[in-house]
Amino acid sequence: MNDSNRHPDNNRPRRAPSGAGSDGLSDGRLVEVHSQLAREKEEPAAGFSLTPIFVVFLFCGFGFWAGLYLTRNSGNFAPSAFDLDAPKLPAGGEVFVFEPSAEKGQVLFNANCAACHQPTGLGVAGMFPPLAGSPWVAGNEDRMLKVILAGMVGEIEVKGAKYNNPAGMLAIGAGLKDGQIAHIATYVRQAWGNNAEPVMDTKVAEVRKAIAGHKAPYSPPELLKEHPLGTK
Amino acid sequence: MTQDNRSGRPQGRPPESDSRLSRVEAQLRGPFLLFFVSAVVWLLVASILGLISALQLQGFGGLLNGEAFTFGHVSAAQHNLFIYGWAFNAFFAINLWLTSQLGRFELRNAWLVTLGALVWNVTLTYGVLSIFAGDLNPFSLLEMPRGVGPVLALAFVLAAFWPIVAYARRPTGQSFASQWFIVGASFVFPLTYLLAQLLLLWNPASGVVQAIVHSWFIQNLLLLWVGGSALAAIYYFLPKVLGRNITGYYLATVAFWTFFLFAGWTGSASLLGSPIPLWVQSVGVVGSAMLLIPVIITALNFHGTLSADGGWSRAWNSTTLRFVCFGAVAFTLSGLINALFSFRGYNAVVRFTSFGVGQEQLLTYAFASMVIFGAAYFILPRLTGALWPSAKLVHLHFWATALAVLGSVSASLVVGWQSGNQLAGASGLASANVLFAILFLVGHVAFALNAFGMILKSTAPAAEGRHD
Repeated sequence: MNDSNRHPDNNRPRRAPSGAGSDGLSDGRLVEVHSQLAREKEEPAAGFSLTPIFVVFLFCGFGFWAGLYLTRNSGNFAPSAFDLDAPKLPAGGEVFVFEPSAEKGQVLFNANCAACHQPTGLGVAGMFPPLAGSPWVAGNEDRMLKVILAGMVGEIEVKGAKYNNPAGMLAIGAGLKDGQIAHIATYVRQAWGNNAEPVMDTKVAEVRKAIAGHKAPYSPPELLKEHPLGTK
Repeated sequence: MTQDNRSGRPQGRPPESDSRLSRVEAQLRGPFLLFFVSAVVWLLVASILGLISALQLQGFGGLLNGEAFTFGHVSAAQHNLFIYGWAFNAFFAINLWLTSQLGRFELRNAWLVTLGALVWNVTLTYGVLSIFAGDLNPFSLLEMPRGVGPVLALAFVLAAFWPIVAYARRPTGQSFASQWFIVGASFVFPLTYLLAQLLLLWNPASGVVQAIVHSWFIQNLLLLWVGGSALAAIYYFLPKVLGRNITGYYLATVAFWTFFLFAGWTGSASLLGSPIPLWVQSVGVVGSAMLLIPVIITALNFHGTLSADGGWSRAWNSTTLRFVCFGAVAFTLSGLINALFSFRGYNAVVRFTSFGVGQEQLLTYAFASMVIFGAAYFILPRLTGALWPSAKLVHLHFWATALAVLGSVSASLVVGWQSGNQLAGASGLASANVLFAILFLVGHVAFALNAFGMILKSTAPAAEGRHD
C-alpha cells in the first residue's frame, strides 16, 4: 500500500521524438510531489516570497470592491431597474430627482444621433445640418424637442447653408424615454461650444403630451412659425 | 492481461500487447485516435468554411451558389464545427489520456467510449447539415436543431464520463490540479447544455430570460469546458516536460474553486445595456472582475514555473511547450481583457463590434487550440510509436497558426475598439481576414498531414497491440 504511492513508471522506454521534449517527471511522481506541495507550506526562510501575503490582500480588495460595486450599481436589486438612470426606489422618503447629464447625453447621442449629425456635431454638407453653433438647438428648447419627438422633413437653412435630406429626420425620440431625450438635448445644447440651458425630463414629457396629435413630421417653416429662431 | 496489477505497476513490459505501450495507454489508444482524427478532420472542414465566409464578406458571394451556402449558414456551421467538432473531440481525447495517466486508470470499456465518439460525430454531422439546410435556431452555438441536443448530451456522457471514473478510482488518495479541472469540466458541460436546451428550445423561457440563459450557457461552455480542459493540460505539461514543480502550487486549489465559482456568473456582462434588471448586469461585471483571481493565480503558477532557471528558452525549444506556453500567455491576456472590457465605460465602446469576436478567438484559439496542438505533439508519438514525419511541417504549423491568431485577434480587437469609438463601419478588416483564414488553413493542413502521416505509419503495430 505504501509502495503503491511510488511508482516511477520506468517500464516505458523513452521514445521522445524530436521536439516532444523529455519526460521530466513521471506521472506518479508528479502527482505525489504536488499533493505534498499542496499540503505543506514552504519553510519560512531568508528570501521567503512575499507573494502569498500580497495575493491575499489583493483578493480581499477584490471582494471589498465587489461588494461596493454591487451596492452602487444594482438599483436596489429592483426587478424593474434596467439602467443606471432608473429611478431609485423611495427609501426613507427620499424622492428621485432627475439631473440632466451631458455625459450620459453624449453616450446616447453617439448611439442614436451621431450616424447623421456626426460625433463632431458638424453634420454632412447638403444632407444633415450641423448642431454645433446652430441657432436651432439654442434658445427655446421646445423647437428641438419637437424635432426629436416628431421628426422633420424639408429644406432647412442653418448658418447660411442649405440642407435637404429627402427622407428627412425620423422621429427618433418616439422610441426614447423622457429622461434619455433630456440627456441628449442637454448634451447637444452644451457641447461643441454651444451654451444653452439644460433640459429637464419634465419638459420633454410636457412637449410629448402637447404634440401627441401631431403625427406627421414637422416642416422647417411650420416650426419657425411656432418658435422663431433666437427667441427664448 | 488482467490480474496482478492493483498496487504495483507492471514491472516489465506489458504482456502480450504492443511492447512499446504501457497498459494504460494501450487501452485508450483506439478511442484516443478516433477522437483525434475526427477532431482534425472537423478542424480542416471548419478552416475551409472559415476561408469561405471570409471571402464572402469580401464580396465573393458567388463563390458557392445556392441558399444553403449563404454567409449566415456557412458562418454558423464553421462556429459549431470549430467548437463541437474540433475542441470537443480533441478534449475528449486529451482529458481521457490525462486522467488515465494521472490515475493509472485502465479503460476496460473502450467500446462505450468508441460508441460515444461515433454518436457524437454522426449527430454533429446531422446537425451541421441541418444548418446548411436552413433548419437553425437563433442562438449562437445552439443553432443545431433541438433534437440534436439530448443525443449530443448522451454522447458526451459516454465519451467524457471516464475521467470522472478514473478520478474516483485513482489508486492513491492523492490528486493533481489537472484532474480537478477535468472532472469539474466534465460535470459542468452536460448540465449547462441540457438546461440551456430546455430553457431556450424545448420550453422557451419568457422574454429576456432567454438572453440571460444563453449568455450563461456560452460562458460555461467556453470558460469551464473548453477553458477548464485546456488549463488542466497546461497544469500537466509544464511540470511534466520541464521536470519541475509548479511554482506556488498550493494556490492552485484556490484557482480551481474560484474559477468554477465565478466563471458561470460572467455571462450577463455581455448583456450590459440591454433591458435586463440592472443587478443581473452588475453581477456579470463583478463575476468577470472576480475571475481575475484564478487568472492571477494561474499566471503565478504558469509563468512562475517557466521563469525559473531558463524555463522560457527550454519551453521554446520543446514543440509541446512552445504551443502550451503560447496558450498559457493567451489565457492570462484573455482574462485581463475580459475583466477590463466588462466594465460599463469600456464595454459601451466595444459593444456590438468585432471586439467580442476577438475575445472569443483569443480564448478558444490562442489559448485552447494552441494547448491542444501542444498536447498532440506530446501524446501522439507515444500512442503511435512513430516520430512526427516532418520537422518542417511542425514549424510551418506553429508559425502559420501563431501569426494567424495573433493577427486575427489583434485586428478584431483594434478594429472593434476603433469602430466603437467612431461608430463607423469597420474597414480593412475583411480583406485581412481572408489572409488570416488562409494562414489558419495552411497551418492546419500542415498539422493534419503530419498527424495523419504518423497515425498511418503506426497502424500495423497498433492493431496487434490492442486486441485482448
